[in-house]
Amino acid sequence: MKAFHTRSRATALLMMLALLSGTFAPGAEAQRKTKERAKAVSEEQRILHVLNRLGFGARPGDVERVRAIGVERYVEQQLRPDQIDDAVAASKIKNLPTLSMTTAELLAKYPNPGMLIRQLQRSGKPVPPELAAIIESRTKGTPPTAPNGSSGAAKNTAAMDDAMTAPAVGGASTAGKDGEMSAGAMTASQNRKGASNDQDRGDYRRAIIAYMRENNLESPQRITAELQASRILRAVYSERQLQEVMVDFWTNHFNVFASKGADKWFLTSYDRDTIRPRSLGKFRDLLGATAESPAMLFYLDNFQSVSPNTRAPLGQQQRRRLMRMNESDPRGGGMKRRRQQTENEQAGQMGMPPQQPKRPRRGINENYARELMELHTLGVDGGYTQKDVQEVARAFTGWTLIDPRGVVAGNNAAKSYFNARLHDDGEKMVLGHKIPAGGGIKDGETVLDILSRHPATAKFIATKLCRRFVTDNPSPSLVERVAAAFTKSDGDIRETLRAIFTSTEFNSVEARHAKIKTPFELAISAIRTLGGETDGRPALHGWVAKMGEPLYMYQAPTGYPDTAEHWVNTGALLERLNFALALVSNRIPGTRVDLARFAGEIANNKISQADQARVVDQFLNLILQGDVSPRTKETLLKQLNSPDAAASMQAPVAQVNDSAAQVNESAAMVGSAQGRDTARRGGFGRGEGRRGMRGLDSTLPAINPEVARIAALILGTPEFQRQ
Amino acid sequence: MNDSRRFFLKQGGIALASFGLMNGAPSFLQRAALAQGLTRAADGRRKTLITIFQRGAVDGLNMIVPHGESEYYSLRPTLAIPRPGRGNNGEAAIDLDGFFGLHPALAPLKNLWNEKRLAIVEATGSPDNTRSHFDAQDYMESGTPGRKSTPDGWLNRYLQAKTNAKASPFRAVSMTQNLPRVLQGRAPALAISNLADFTIRAGAYSAKVQGGFEDIYEQSAGDVLRGTGRETFEAVKFLKQANPAQYTPENGAQYPRGRYGDSLLQIAQLIKAGVGLEVAFTDMGGWDTHVNEGGARGQLALLLQQFGAGVNALVTDLGPQRMDDVVILTMSEFGRTARENGTRGTDHGHANAMFVVGGGVRGGKVYGEWPGLTNDKLYEGRDLALTTDFRDVFGEVASRHLGNANLQTVFPGYVTSAAKFRGVLG
Repeated sequence: MKAFHTRSRATALLMMLALLSGTFAPGAEAQRKTKERAKAVSEEQRILHVLNRLGFGARPGDVERVRAIGVERYVEQQLRPDQIDDAVAASKIKNLPTLSMTTAELLAKYPNPGMLIRQLQRSGKPVPPELAAIIESRTKGTPPTAPNGSSGAAKNTAAMDDAMTAPAVGGASTAGKDGEMSAGAMTASQNRKGASNDQDRGDYRRAIIAYMRENNLESPQRITAELQASRILRAVYSERQLQEVMVDFWTNHFNVFASKGADKWFLTSYDRDTIRPRSLGKFRDLLGATAESPAMLFYLDNFQSVSPNTRAPLGQQQRRRLMRMNESDPRGGGMKRRRQQTENEQAGQMGMPPQQPKRPRRGINENYARELMELHTLGVDGGYTQKDVQEVARAFTGWTLIDPRGVVAGNNAAKSYFNARLHDDGEKMVLGHKIPAGGGIKDGETVLDILSRHPATAKFIATKLCRRFVTDNPSPSLVERVAAAFTKSDGDIRETLRAIFTSTEFNSVEARHAKIKTPFELAISAIRTLGGETDGRPALHGWVAKMGEPLYMYQAPTGYPDTAEHWVNTGALLERLNFALALVSNRIPGTRVDLARFAGEIANNKISQADQARVVDQFLNLILQGDVSPRTKETLLKQLNSPDAAASMQAPVAQVNDSAAQVNESAAMVGSAQGRDTARRGGFGRGEGRRGMRGLDSTLPAINPEVARIAALILGTPEFQRQ
Repeated sequence: MNDSRRFFLKQGGIALASFGLMNGAPSFLQRAALAQGLTRAADGRRKTLITIFQRGAVDGLNMIVPHGESEYYSLRPTLAIPRPGRGNNGEAAIDLDGFFGLHPALAPLKNLWNEKRLAIVEATGSPDNTRSHFDAQDYMESGTPGRKSTPDGWLNRYLQAKTNAKASPFRAVSMTQNLPRVLQGRAPALAISNLADFTIRAGAYSAKVQGGFEDIYEQSAGDVLRGTGRETFEAVKFLKQANPAQYTPENGAQYPRGRYGDSLLQIAQLIKAGVGLEVAFTDMGGWDTHVNEGGARGQLALLLQQFGAGVNALVTDLGPQRMDDVVILTMSEFGRTARENGTRGTDHGHANAMFVVGGGVRGGKVYGEWPGLTNDKLYEGRDLALTTDFRDVFGEVASRHLGNANLQTVFPGYVTSAAKFRGVLG
C-alpha cells in the first residue's frame, strides 16, 4: 500500500512535470539513446582504429560499411587481398603507362638522355644529323689521343644527368627533380650564361630533347613520378587497404633509393613483381625476391661484387658481341632460369661501376651482405660478426645484372642472373652453419634460408611490425608472442599480422591514437576523410615530400624511421598545416575536395554564427568522428569569432610580405577553384589523366573560405596528426 | 614591429638578454639566448658553422694549384693553370705560399688569405676508394665511410651529442629543398629553400588561420605536439618580423645571383637575426667536369668564380666581428684524376682540398701533408693520394669551433683526437 502510494505519488509528480515541460517521453528516450551511443561509440572507435591502422583512414560511410559486415570479418577480408575486388583502384592507375612496362621497355622508352648516344651507336642505328653535328663540334680540337670521337659527348651527358652532381637532389629529392636533364645540366647552364661551353651544352641538350620528342621517347623522371602516383592512388582508392599498408611497410623495410643511378628504372618492377605479390605471403619468398631483384642488386652494389679469384674479364668487343647474342634470347623469368644460358655463353661481367668504365673494380663488395643481416633479417644486434658479413658476401658473389644501364642488351637489359665465373665457390661458414664448396647459386639461397629462420629475424620483424601497427614502443611480451607466431608459421606474414590484430595490445585503449601519422598517411587520410578525389598528379606527392617523406627517395638503406620523433618537428609541422590549407582550398592540382557537400546551405560568403557552429560540428564529426575534447571545440568556435578576424580579413595581401605564390593562394582561398591548374604546371604532360581531371574541376562549386578555414583547422589539429 | 623587437633584430639575442628586453622576444629565442655552455663557446659567444658542399666532385688540383710541382704541368698539358706571373693577364695561378696558388677565378679569396682568415686543407677526403658520386657523398655526409646503414648524418649526430632541450628551432638549417643526408637524424633540423616561404600560407587569411592553429595547439595539453606547435608559430612569427624580403647586405657585399648566392645571403640573415643558428648547410652543383673543363677560363673557372664570390660576399656581409664566431667549411665528395683525360676534362679521383674560413681560423696556410704527383705517389696510379681523413677536419671544427669534445658519437667507429687535428683552428 505504501509502496503503491509512493509510486503513484512519484508517477503523479512525473506526469505533472511531463505536462509542464512536455519532455517526459523524449527525455527517457534520449537517456536510453545516450547509453546505446556510449556502447556504439566504443564499437565505432574500434572500427576507426582498424581503418586507421590496417589502412589509410576512413572515408565517409566506411564506418557503417565495416559495422555492417562486422569488424572481425573486415580484418579477415583485409588479410586476403586477392579475394577483394579492386576495380576502382585498377581503373585509377590505368592511365599510368609505365606501371605495366618491363624494365627493358622502360629503358627503351624513357632512356637516360646521357646514354642515348651510346645506345644509338651500339645498336648500329644511325645517329641523326643534328646530334652528329653537335657531337662533332663538341669534340673538335680533342687531342688525337682520344679513343673515339663520340665518347666525350656521351660521357659528358652521362655526367650531366647524374643526379648526384647537382644540389637539391643530394639528400632526398622531391618529385620531378630526381636527375635527368633537369638537375646538373640546367643548373650548370643557368650558371654559365654566354660561355661557349654553355652554348655547347645548351645546344646538345636541345638536340637530345628534340630527338627524344621526334622518336616518341620520354624523360625517365616520369617513371618515378608515375610510381609515386600509383602508390598514392592505391592508398586513396584501393579496397585492399592492408595490402597497401604492407607494401608501404616492406618498401620501407627493403628500401631502395630511386636516385641512385639506374635504380629509377628498376623500381617499377620492384613494386609490381617483387614486393606487392608477396606483401602478405611468406617472408622467405619476399626476402629471396628482393635479393635477386635488379633494384636491390644495384642499390646495395651486389651486382659488382666479384670473387677476387675470378679470371680476367672479357674484352670489350667480346662482351658486346655476347650481349647482342643475348638480345635475341626471348627467355624471361628469374635468376635461375637465366643461369644456364649465361653460364654457357659466358656473358661476361656487365656489372662494372659506370663511373670507371676503363677500370672495372674487382673484388668482394660487402654492402648487401651487411644490410641483409643488419636491416633485412637479424637486426643490428642479431649476433652476427664481421666474419659473417664477409662469408655472406662471398656466398652472393656472381648474383649480378646484365647491362644495368640498358646500353647494349635490348630485351635482356637489367635482368638479374647468376654468373658462375664471378662466384667464389669455396666453402663458407655463416652463423655457425657450414656451406660446402661448389654450391654455386645455392650458396646465396642457403644463406637466405639460414637468415629467414633465425630467431633474431623473427624478433626483429615482429618488433618492426608491432611498432608499425600498435605503438612506437611495443611491450616485450607482445613482441615475443608475435615473433612466436612468425616462427610457428615459418615466417608467414599473414599469420604474424593476425597475431597482432587479435592481441589485447592492438585492441587496447592505449593503442588508439598512439601513432603519429607519417606524412604519406596524413596526406592520404586527409583526402579520404573528406571524400576527396585525386588523379595522382605530381603536386600531391610534392606535398608528401615537403612534409618529409618523398616516396622512393630515402637515401639510406634503413628506410624512414617509424617513430613519432622523426615526424614531429617545427618545419614538418608547418608543412602539415600548409598541406591542410592547400587541400581544403583545392590548391593542389589534380586533387579535389568538395566541402560544400558536407557544409550544407550557406549563403554565399556570408556565414552566421549559427552556421559556424553547425559547420564546426559537421567537420568535427567527419574528420575526427567527434572524437575531440570539448576544449578543442570551444577553441575552434572562439577562434572563428575572434574580434581581430574581421581586421585580418581585410588586411592587404602584400602586408604579410607574400611571395607571388601566396598571392595566388590567397585568391584560391577566397575565390573559386577553377583556372588555377593552368597557372601551375605540374601535370604528367601528355598524360590522359589530365583530361579526366578537368571534367572533375568544372563540376566544383566555389569554396566558402570560412568553411575551408574550419576544415583546415580541424585537419591541422593534433588529433588528426595521430591515428 | 615594436622597438624592443627592432633592437633585438639589430643586436641579436645576446644583446637583448643583457639589456633586459627578453619579454618581448619569443620564448625559444629567450631559451636560445640563455642556454649557456651548449650553444656558445667558453667565452660566451655563439658559434656558427656554415658548411658548403660542392656536389659533383670539384677538381681540387685546379682549384688549389700546386704550381711548384712540375708533374702537375706534365699531367695536364691543356688544363693546367700557368705558374704565377706566367700566361696572359689574369690567367695565372695566384700564388699563396710559393708552392700552391689559387685558381685565378678565386681572386676574391686572396684577401682572406692575406688576412690569415682562410686556410686550406690539402689531400683530404674519405679513405674509402669508391669513385661513385652517390656513395662518396653518402659517406662524407654520414661520416662513416664504407658503412651505408648509418641512419643519420654527422652534423645531426653533432647536434644529438650536444643535446639541448632548449635549442632554437633554427639551431640547424639547411638552405635546400630537402634535408640533406648530413643533417638527417634524431635532432631537429630545418630545410628551408626560401625564408619567405617559412610561414602559414593562406594569403590574406594567413594571420587568422595561424591564430587558429596556435590556439588549438596551445590548449592541447598533454600532447607532445603542443610544444612543437608553439615552437613552430614562434619561429614563423619571428621570421616574419625579421622580414626576409627586405634585406640589404652590409659592407657592400654582393652575392652571386642564383640559388647558391641566395642561400648564403639567407644564412647571413639568420645569423644577424640572432635566431640561434648553430649549423647551416648549403650546396652547389655542376662540378663534374669530364669534358672541356677549361683552364684559367671556361667551365670550371665560371663555377669557381661563383663559388668564391659567394664565400667572399658572406664574409664581407657578416663583417669581421661576426666572422670571429663563424667558420665556413667547404667540402666535395672526392677529387679528380691528376691526369687530364682525352676530352679535356678530368675523371673521378680520390683526395681533394677543403677551405676553412673564419676569424678564429689560423689562416694563410695550407695544411696537411702533400703527397706529391709523381706516378709512384699517385693513388692507384691516377689520383691525388689521401693524407688527411676528412673526419679529422670535421672533428677539429666540431671540437674546437663548436666546442664538442665527444667525437666518438659524431664519428662512430673512428678515433679522432687533438693529435690528429691539423691545427687549422689552433
